[in-house]
Amino acid sequence: MEQAAQIVIGGLVQGSVFAVVALGIALVYRVTGIINLAQGGFCILGALFYYSLVEPLGWPVPLAIVGSVVATTVLGVALGAGSFVPALAHLPNSSMLMLTAGLMTFIEGLVLVLWGSEPYAVPPFSGEAPLVVFGIRVPSQGPWIAGGSALIIFGVWYLLARTASGKALLACAENPTAARLMGIDVPRLTLLSFGLTALIGALGGLVSAPILSLQFDAGRFFTNAGFIAVAIGGMSSLAGAVAGGLFLGVAEQLAAGYVSALFSNALALGLLLMTLLWRPQGLFVVGGVRRHDVRTELRAYRGIVRLRGRGALVGGLAALALAVALPALVGAGGVLSSLVIALILFIAVLGLDVVMGFAGQVSLGQAGFMAVGGYTAAILAATYGLPPLVGVAAGIVLSLACAIVLALVTMRLRGAYLALATLSFGLLIDSLTLGLTETTGGPSGLVGIPSFAVASFAFDTPLRMYYLVLALIVLLVLALAGGMRSSFGRALQAIRTDQMAAAALGINVPLHKTAAFAIAAVLGSLSGSLYAFDFHFLSPEMVATPRSFEMIAMLVLGGEGTLVGGIIGAILITLLPTLFQPLAAYKTLAEGAILVLAFQYLPDGLFGRLVRLLSSLHRSVLPGRRLLGRPAR
Amino acid sequence: MSPPALALAGLAKTFGGLKAVDGVSFEVPDGGLTALIGPNGAGKTTLFNLITNLIPPDIGEVKLYGSPLGALSPSAIARLGLLRTFQTARVFPGLTALENVMAGAHRLVRAHAAGQMLWLPGARREEADLAARAEALLDLLGLAAFRDMAATSLPIGAQKLIELGRALMARPRLLLLDEPAAGLNDTETAELAALLRAVRDSGVTIMVVEHNMSLVMDIADEVVVLDLGTTIAQGRPAEIQANRRVIEAYLGAEAAA
Repeated sequence: MEQAAQIVIGGLVQGSVFAVVALGIALVYRVTGIINLAQGGFCILGALFYYSLVEPLGWPVPLAIVGSVVATTVLGVALGAGSFVPALAHLPNSSMLMLTAGLMTFIEGLVLVLWGSEPYAVPPFSGEAPLVVFGIRVPSQGPWIAGGSALIIFGVWYLLARTASGKALLACAENPTAARLMGIDVPRLTLLSFGLTALIGALGGLVSAPILSLQFDAGRFFTNAGFIAVAIGGMSSLAGAVAGGLFLGVAEQLAAGYVSALFSNALALGLLLMTLLWRPQGLFVVGGVRRHDVRTELRAYRGIVRLRGRGALVGGLAALALAVALPALVGAGGVLSSLVIALILFIAVLGLDVVMGFAGQVSLGQAGFMAVGGYTAAILAATYGLPPLVGVAAGIVLSLACAIVLALVTMRLRGAYLALATLSFGLLIDSLTLGLTETTGGPSGLVGIPSFAVASFAFDTPLRMYYLVLALIVLLVLALAGGMRSSFGRALQAIRTDQMAAAALGINVPLHKTAAFAIAAVLGSLSGSLYAFDFHFLSPEMVATPRSFEMIAMLVLGGEGTLVGGIIGAILITLLPTLFQPLAAYKTLAEGAILVLAFQYLPDGLFGRLVRLLSSLHRSVLPGRRLLGRPAR
Repeated sequence: MSPPALALAGLAKTFGGLKAVDGVSFEVPDGGLTALIGPNGAGKTTLFNLITNLIPPDIGEVKLYGSPLGALSPSAIARLGLLRTFQTARVFPGLTALENVMAGAHRLVRAHAAGQMLWLPGARREEADLAARAEALLDLLGLAAFRDMAATSLPIGAQKLIELGRALMARPRLLLLDEPAAGLNDTETAELAALLRAVRDSGVTIMVVEHNMSLVMDIADEVVVLDLGTTIAQGRPAEIQANRRVIEAYLGAEAAA
């Protein structure tokens, strides 16, 4: 009994942190219709600022609290004013979600630059000795966390329900256009809400700092828990978010206390998937009707960039000639090895392009398929000594099965809900690769993976791998180009922007979405297997969720919906840190910045820019002839 | 005698407390051009959505050439040859005018995705045939010059015509058009009228929602009038023009008196 009480109290303490993060996510969602994946970043920023002020600088606790909240809020407002709010005006919701993922990566990169990757610990606010109430031991930070969270929740409630700014904020949420007509400055209020969530996040982060190991990637833990809580509680309800947070905290602690810590992770994701499936409006929202997204999805008005006919042939052959000659130009050193990795990752990016660029479905779990393919092939080859080809094939079959199950399960989900479901798939695979230590080697990874080989021919040098992967890419790009430039591809592109009009033409929307996911899974799996064979080693963080975001950055930088564009992104993001070693510390920061900036300023990526440039050059040389369909604007 | 192209029996839909469509029954004769008219809010677009099951009806039955559609999905209904356009042009962004029209052929395409990926000769030939047919349609619609332009960059009138071309590309048996003349000028409307007549004469049954009365009276073989969710009249254009209830519905009771 005492044990149970202790677990429940621990759960409520943890749950109140989740509730605060969830509240921040729900607040931005209420006002903008966007799920802010960067919310956890504010938590870790708040906690680390607090650490720096208290420990090295020796500020007193109250002053450090104020200082770290102010610092985080200022940063939050700056990020909001520089990217989130202006982007809101012209990006579709799915891109906005990615943009917040980019902001999250940017914040992680900032933390890496400022604090490095080592973990930090801060002392509790009021001594180490736990409190004992009625024989139940409560950690000394517990009351601070619960009290601080209660204060934040009350503050937000008071602001929204009792002040004019709060009411204006809710008016924006209900109907931005009407709010604007009433003289409410919608962008300013959106920025206000974004700054407010930064403040909430910072407070939530710093009160829980003493019970955490503060590390650059701890922000993800907050975001994950927060969005699971929001999804469980009800996306659009602030009270639901708080209830979801507390519920999740208690459920996780009970699972960890009575089963195992690994199970608590899986339980959270299981709860999330179940809620998304059976009660997408949330467990704690009364009434069966799901509230519509507050802002209607902006149509993705993208120019059409595609080389046609002879232009494509000439361009393709030139690129291929360059690719074949490249090893002779760069030599057999580290650059070639990095190129091999870039090309391997590009295979997974190709799959992502089919799902995102063509079918328009947000997938945040592409690295999950890399993990399935990579671990299956690696385990079969290293542990059971089966030929690499068998491992690759087995990985593909398993990934296909995962993709089809995922597609069936998420059939009715769209937009943000689908994104969350794919993200939770990725996180589930993450926790499996970490947790199944006996088969995967756990955090320390799997060693002794042989080189890829066909019969007795081993691809055991970077040069051989390079040509193998290049040949595969040529075949895959040709196949996908054939597929995407035909009725199948047109159907996917129809689904991207208008599922209803697509269905009205007889296009089987669920079937095509499933096919797109299946293609992405096959390519992700293939990429993961090759990755493992190339490295001779595989560890969970090589194919974990941050990799999914990295691949999205590659795709967006290169150009969505262009098939080949992704290769530019893959090479730049993989090679730049290798070429400029001093820059390696800034890799994550740069990836985040690239993702955010590319979404805002490069709507068709570098490839799009390149094609437009070539096309205008061509026209100036040969007037009247064009390589390119005229752009939309 | 062949069954009617479309038969509606007791179709009804309530949104909240509002009876948007309230027990509508009528038949669309095979091979004709039927116009569905009525004041704003009469339930015309909702009726289209119920027929194509984009919104499931509360009650009632839709029969296409005698066979009930039941709870078939919108895409399954389209595959049976019942195609529709939308009130606001819904061309696909990211596709050119030509590709938009080609997308309409989806229900006729025989090559599988795998065949298209492998560049099989059959799939390539089919693709070339589709492109040729789509080009001919664009030509017919007077849009040949816009072939390679992004469909969403064209004026609204052209987008509506592309949507019409996309539906024709599917070789429909029954075509539901939701205000095809909205956004067209007088010349374009006259061209549209000629085109719709030609389409009907080629054997496609058409039902059209339209506010342009002179167009309706010009092209329709049969007119169905909807008001407040119920049919108030059905007949030849001349009969409808003289119908007292129709005039009341449009102009109010005093004007008819």
